[in-house]
Amino acid sequence: MLEAFENGADGVMVIGCLEGDCHYLAGNIRARARVARVAKILESIRIGGDRIRMFNLSAGEGAKFAAYVNEFVGRIRELGPSSINIVRKNAA
Amino acid sequence: MNREHSQQSGPTSPLSGAVMVIGGGISGMQSALDLANAGFKVYLVESSPAIGGKMAQLDKTFPTNDCSMCIVSPKLVEVGRHLNIELLTWSEVTGLTGEAGNFTATIKSHARYVDIGKCTGCGACELACPVTQISYFPQELPEGEKKKGSREKRTIRGPGSPLPQRLHPWTFEVAAEKCSKCGSCFRACLHGAIKWEKGGVAGVIADKCTGCGACFVACPEKFSAVTIADAPEIDRGLGAAIVARSEALKKEMAGRDERNCIRCGLCAMTCRKVMRIGALKMVAEGIEASLDTCQVCGACVSVCPVSFLAIDQVTNRTPQPLYNTFNEGLNLRHPVNILYPQAVPRVPVIDEASCVHLNTGACGICRSVCGPGAIDYGLKGGEREVRVGSVVFAPGFEVFDAKRRGEFGYGHYKNVVTSIEFERLLSASGPTSGTVQRPGDGRHPKKIAWIQCVGSRDHSCDRDYCSSVCCMYATKEAYIAREHDSAIEPTIFYIDMRSFGKNFDAYVERAKERNIRFVRAMVSRVFEDPQTGDLELRYVDGSGWRVTENFDMVVLSVGVQIAARTRELATTLGIELDRYGFAVSQDFTPLAASRPGIYVSGVINGPKDIPETVIEASGAALAASAGLAPARGTEVTVEALPAERVPEAGEELRIGVFVCHCGTNIASVVDVAAVAEYARSLPGVVYAGHPLYTCSQDSQESIRAIISEHRLNRLVVAACSPSTHEPLFMSTLRQAGINKYFFDMANIRDQCSWVHPNDPAMATEKSRRLVRMTVANASQAEPLAELEFDVNPGLLVIGGGVAGMTAAVEAARQGFTVSLIERQPTLGGQVQHLGRSWGGQDFSRYLLELKEQVESNERIRVFLNSEVVEHSGFVGAFSTDIMTPTGALRTIAHGAIIVATGAEEARPDLHGLGTADRVMTQTDFEARLLGGRDMVPGHVVMLQCAGSRATVQQASYSEPDTGTPCDTSATTAVTQAHLPYCSRVCCNQAVKNALHLKEINPTARIDILYRDMRTYGLGELHYQKARRLGINFIRFDPEENPPEIEVEDREIRVAVRDPSIGRKVSLAPDLLVLSTGMKPRDTEELASMLRVPRNSNGFFIEAHAKLRPVDLPSEGLFMAGTVHAPKDVSETIAQAQAAVARAAILLSKKNLRLSGVVSRVDPTHCAVCLTCVRACPYGVPFINAEHTAEINPALCQGCGICVAECPAKAITLGRYQDINLKAKIRSYAQAKPEAITVEESHDG
Repeated sequence: MLEAFENGADGVMVIGCLEGDCHYLAGNIRARARVARVAKILESIRIGGDRIRMFNLSAGEGAKFAAYVNEFVGRIRELGPSSINIVRKNAA
Repeated sequence: MNREHSQQSGPTSPLSGAVMVIGGGISGMQSALDLANAGFKVYLVESSPAIGGKMAQLDKTFPTNDCSMCIVSPKLVEVGRHLNIELLTWSEVTGLTGEAGNFTATIKSHARYVDIGKCTGCGACELACPVTQISYFPQELPEGEKKKGSREKRTIRGPGSPLPQRLHPWTFEVAAEKCSKCGSCFRACLHGAIKWEKGGVAGVIADKCTGCGACFVACPEKFSAVTIADAPEIDRGLGAAIVARSEALKKEMAGRDERNCIRCGLCAMTCRKVMRIGALKMVAEGIEASLDTCQVCGACVSVCPVSFLAIDQVTNRTPQPLYNTFNEGLNLRHPVNILYPQAVPRVPVIDEASCVHLNTGACGICRSVCGPGAIDYGLKGGEREVRVGSVVFAPGFEVFDAKRRGEFGYGHYKNVVTSIEFERLLSASGPTSGTVQRPGDGRHPKKIAWIQCVGSRDHSCDRDYCSSVCCMYATKEAYIAREHDSAIEPTIFYIDMRSFGKNFDAYVERAKERNIRFVRAMVSRVFEDPQTGDLELRYVDGSGWRVTENFDMVVLSVGVQIAARTRELATTLGIELDRYGFAVSQDFTPLAASRPGIYVSGVINGPKDIPETVIEASGAALAASAGLAPARGTEVTVEALPAERVPEAGEELRIGVFVCHCGTNIASVVDVAAVAEYARSLPGVVYAGHPLYTCSQDSQESIRAIISEHRLNRLVVAACSPSTHEPLFMSTLRQAGINKYFFDMANIRDQCSWVHPNDPAMATEKSRRLVRMTVANASQAEPLAELEFDVNPGLLVIGGGVAGMTAAVEAARQGFTVSLIERQPTLGGQVQHLGRSWGGQDFSRYLLELKEQVESNERIRVFLNSEVVEHSGFVGAFSTDIMTPTGALRTIAHGAIIVATGAEEARPDLHGLGTADRVMTQTDFEARLLGGRDMVPGHVVMLQCAGSRATVQQASYSEPDTGTPCDTSATTAVTQAHLPYCSRVCCNQAVKNALHLKEINPTARIDILYRDMRTYGLGELHYQKARRLGINFIRFDPEENPPEIEVEDREIRVAVRDPSIGRKVSLAPDLLVLSTGMKPRDTEELASMLRVPRNSNGFFIEAHAKLRPVDLPSEGLFMAGTVHAPKDVSETIAQAQAAVARAAILLSKKNLRLSGVVSRVDPTHCAVCLTCVRACPYGVPFINAEHTAEINPALCQGCGICVAECPAKAITLGRYQDINLKAKIRSYAQAKPEAITVEESHDG
């Protein structure tokens, strides 16, 4: 996840199955915890913890997926480019 | 003694380990695959030149809108390359002798005139063949008689004079030693390019010659003094050279509006020298045609580069066009023809009726252009005998001949088409490449009408049955037509909307939201406006008014029927058919034909859709193999794969990328050629192509050839979903001798073209990025080894109803041990409450027999009052704990599971059900009917859809008896108790019970209040009988016309408006019978233990709605019966057989291979911190004797949790290593615009 930010992502969505429906039992619960941890790191290095978010969806929820993506992209647009990208652009 | 005995019964009639499957449609293919995968040799006999059947002709499939070709294509490929399926296409069964276990079948193969072994399926023959008509071949003349000259001639003229063009010219010369000095050439030449004097040798004046070949045509055959030089392909023959020049000229002339003869001479040369007719002659004004000597083969029209000639101009005979039957006659084909582009085998057949060479000995172009030399006009058909143990008969159907319903004008009005023709018009690989056009004038239609029940539910043409699929396919066609062109306004005219299957009602609702208009009316006549080709429809609307409405196009929803040829074949096989041609079978052995050892599946067994056909196909495979179980594995061969090439250290990357068109699914949005071009520029990519259908058989072959030619060591396919297609490509890679994990896939269809149809430029860009990331990932791929492990041949069946018991008995017959678990104290399930089947057979006796079979079988262990409490393990090696009545836990080891937990009748709190004596469900009523005459009432009202097919708005209709408008909380409560879906069986059950009541008490009055009578298939016959017997059917609409029902202690009052008489009727029945539908049993805990999904209604979700209807999404788990969706007893039995067939594929194997994607611990880095041991949700990691963590690869599910958690990064997961993910992320990052600019400049 951090690698994505390093490589220039302005936001990262992590999408898992609905909680309780994970094919691997509790994988999505663990993923949620991991995302929360990454959010904290992002917060502490001033990139911003709300640039990463965990979503839960089932395979049949195409429309909901699109809505989530649009919502998240909208949110990231409001936040603007991540500080990594601003610094890099200025350096270039 | 023993030895003598075995000599008598053993070798004289040994069981055969082979099965013959007749019919290569989806049904036959599924049966063949299930049988072959379970260890039986299969002879698959198909009468047409290729397998695929009707499904290959369809565009999309309901209710998921999956592309039919895309889902059937992998099956075609799998059947085509299966080692133990012998494909006998273009063949027919002509005899069957012997008995079950030991039949001898005679199979006659027609001459194909193409050697299957040599043909590569390149299609060059089909491109070259100029014939498009069935010719009037010249009769052979009696000895001595001379060919008569032509009497009728016509000169074909263009708008102007012929304009000789010297394009791609040939050089004509006269060979002096052969010249007879006759001067024919001199007279024929229109340009004065021949010098000749009487008695002298002729010569060509090169600078005057326009290269029309008139001299060549005119030179008498016996001298042949005019020769051709400088003609490409001439060494293959004149025909090949003409075709090549015609193609070159067509390219040259494309875009030029040239309607005059360009005097290339190809038509006259073809007619005289290739076809040996000589009916065409070049004259000053144009082309002179001898109308009566022309054989009407169409070759001259085909080779003409400028469309100067038309077939009806060159002859006065009626042309007999050679229609493309696969495209339902919407376009023409050639006598040498590959059935369809994805056909298996992709080998043409030469049609004896229309091929010129086979009839007159002329032409022969196809043989001359065939590179591999596969065309052999001398090939003969053959007959062979095969020994088989049983036969699966799946001949499929044909559509009703719409001409028999003359009032709709099919065959006369060009813009009236059948539904199957419309499928071809919608199909990307159809005659219009998927654009919806009117056949009459090619115009895009706006208003399209579908007329239902054409050749179904129609006594007048002896098609009394319902075809079961038309309501849904019409809805789908309307839906897809609007997807292709949103300006289209579809209207569907129907009698009853029979959307009775799983998720069908929801699909129809979605169609309504997409502006598809449904009109409940029978169209009486269609009239054509001869000038515009538009069509006027007349019908009577819901309020009884006569309506006239105009449409641009009409689609007739033609029913299914059994072909005359199939009836003959059934006679050959000795099986009994009913008057409509459907196989006669018994309710409790639905797949067994009347002759032992022959099993039926698909439409021959009654009209049905694809998933039901697939269920029956698997079930028939099981039934066909049950008696042959001891001979399993005796006639099969085992695949020999080439040794896997071990990659050398530091080997250079050689990646091959295939970007799929997927017909138009991808290519209509994404510029696939541009994506392939881009892929070529990526590091490590040495090859990139873009096939039409990457998954088709021919593509697999070409991919293998490309892998070896370009020495590829990685394969990337950008196409559809890896969950459906990855195994196919992996297997292709493995067959090329490369580890299959060197494959990776980008999904540019489901995740790109389907999502962004309106933004092709960005979709193409997104596809580029997806391909780049996948290529980056493939660059990091490593070979993985797959683990082989033993399979436990035990089967666990959960649920002891008809489905579970049938599954148990069938599995035991196959030789597997079965544990049958039932929650209740007795076996039998829901059927214990039912009386008798449609066919009048007694359920209780059947159940008794079935129970007896279960209980007496030593291979079956029954656990009553027991439940599953714990489940672990993996396919082939499961372990399940059950709680027995004593409270003790019992652990059962088994290799597969069949879930058959069933459903029960819903008992909603409606109209006093449960409190009032005289209100009951259909099942209660059925039981009461068994009580005899004393128990039966004189007047019954049945209410259909009582608490079913409810939406939130509709749910309130059941409340009028409260007298006051219900408040919202009441509505919510009612809604929750209601079933939103159709339970499929209630209409048939109501009709069955009504008929039973009439049988006991012929004077009884019965009123059935219904929304749509869904007596699908042959159930329609019972419905018609009920109407004939005076049972009253009153239609209501829950929103506009809900019945008012009042239930009091002594009296029931029902008032409803009967639309057929337009008046309100009041009824005071003795009994109110509610058709309440079916709801699944509580399986929430079970589903979570088994980790399988259920839909919002509580039914289990199948692995694929169309083609894997009995498989659950997890491997080794199957389902049968009403746990899948509502169905009747015969359908349940068929599905139970199908589930066992699917399980038998696993259980019959000694060992299985597991995915190579498993976690591995690097012991040198392991700190033995136990993190993985705690993190693994399956409890797999343990600390071994060497004091490091170890993961058993057979148990590992490949979820990767331990990989993520391990603090020392000592655990890796093949295919999903850090290097893979990092490569993808970095590759994504390069997607920034500046990076692209750099790459584009690199391209240039």
